[in-house]
Amino acid sequence: MKTAIIISLLAIGPACGFAQSNFMISYPIGFPMGNLHDYVGSTSFRGINMEFNKIVAPNQTVGLETGWNVFYQHVDKKVYTEGSQSITGVQYRYTNAVPIIAGGKFYFESKKSIHPYVGVGLGTLYVDRTTDFGIYRINTDAWQFCIRPEAGIEARAGSAESFFIGVKYYWAFNTSDLDAQPYLTLNVGFRFTNL
Amino acid sequence: MFSKHHFWLAVFLLPLVFGCYPHGAQSYTDYDLVYTNFSDSTNFSQYKTFALPDSVIKITGDVFNNSSGDGKPEFLPPAYSEAILGQIAKNMIAYGWTEVDKNANPDAILLPEVTTTTNIYWYYDWGYWGWYYPGYYPGWGWYYPGYYPPYVSSYTTGTLLIQMTDQKSINVNPQGTVANVPVIWVCILNGLANGSTADVTTRVQNNLDQAFAQSPYLKH
Repeated sequence: MKTAIIISLLAIGPACGFAQSNFMISYPIGFPMGNLHDYVGSTSFRGINMEFNKIVAPNQTVGLETGWNVFYQHVDKKVYTEGSQSITGVQYRYTNAVPIIAGGKFYFESKKSIHPYVGVGLGTLYVDRTTDFGIYRINTDAWQFCIRPEAGIEARAGSAESFFIGVKYYWAFNTSDLDAQPYLTLNVGFRFTNL
Repeated sequence: MFSKHHFWLAVFLLPLVFGCYPHGAQSYTDYDLVYTNFSDSTNFSQYKTFALPDSVIKITGDVFNNSSGDGKPEFLPPAYSEAILGQIAKNMIAYGWTEVDKNANPDAILLPEVTTTTNIYWYYDWGYWGWYYPGYYPGWGWYYPGYYPPYVSSYTTGTLLIQMTDQKSINVNPQGTVANVPVIWVCILNGLANGSTADVTTRVQNNLDQAFAQSPYLKH
């Protein structure tokens, strides 16, 4: 819940203040990659992503992003063996991933109302991993350094509203507590420009 | 225009996300764990016979306190004991072993026990088995050749522990008072002790089958 409050504050708080800015809200479908995929193979359909950007030039923005994806997998009864030890049980695996990223975007000029864009961001990815195994719960969390390239297409729908579809890759880095937990999201959402 | 409209959009969207947290365990069996470990320096094929007590004991603490005064620990009710002992014997026989009396010089002895304590250390008091163990003196002790079983913690849960002792490699001093008894196989079943007697015994029996299935080295 604490995480939820932080996300709400980060996302909504700044939206009330600046001028010449935009707010982006999207539904991110998360695809686990690398070590995260080894742990939870399933696609995440649970999540939200929000950005608050300041328009610094007609086709450039800089801003802050946060979001939340829940990766979940139920692993049926299975034998885990290490050396002479074997243990059998059902596992419920959860990974909550919350990026907090500062980044910029560049929108390509176009005569039509469709504008491709690219962007890159730097920040942190908070990862909270929980494994329920029998009556035991194993919990690990980490703040991982994260580089987040993105690309997408925006379609202007009105004077202040746009629809966008894009891809973001959360390239996370190892920490001592947890290996890097990268993932990719397909974001579908809206951009509302402050006028 | 921006602030009100979109602020409320965000406010209404957030609870939707929090409301769809994935679920967890659905039934008692989802909480069951079956753990086994063994001494990998042991060649199990040299063992042919085993003995099994006629009761499953309750471990009530690290130290055996002889509360009943007759040198015997508490026992599990027969409905559970018989189901557990019967299933162990069935699996052992299916793996090619022969059950014999404890005084008929068995190659291995299986000691099943259930813990009700919060934490049980594997080097618990030998006094628990004094009533049963052939040739037992108070100075005897266990050891685990080449491996260490884990600590077992248990709260509002049931834990069944089984130790298989190696009667061929037992080290007794000439007086018979001090002995090191190697424990060559351990099994821990852990889960919720909820449900009817029939449900619990069925789960324990299924989990015992799993314990043997994941220990194929016991097979002859």
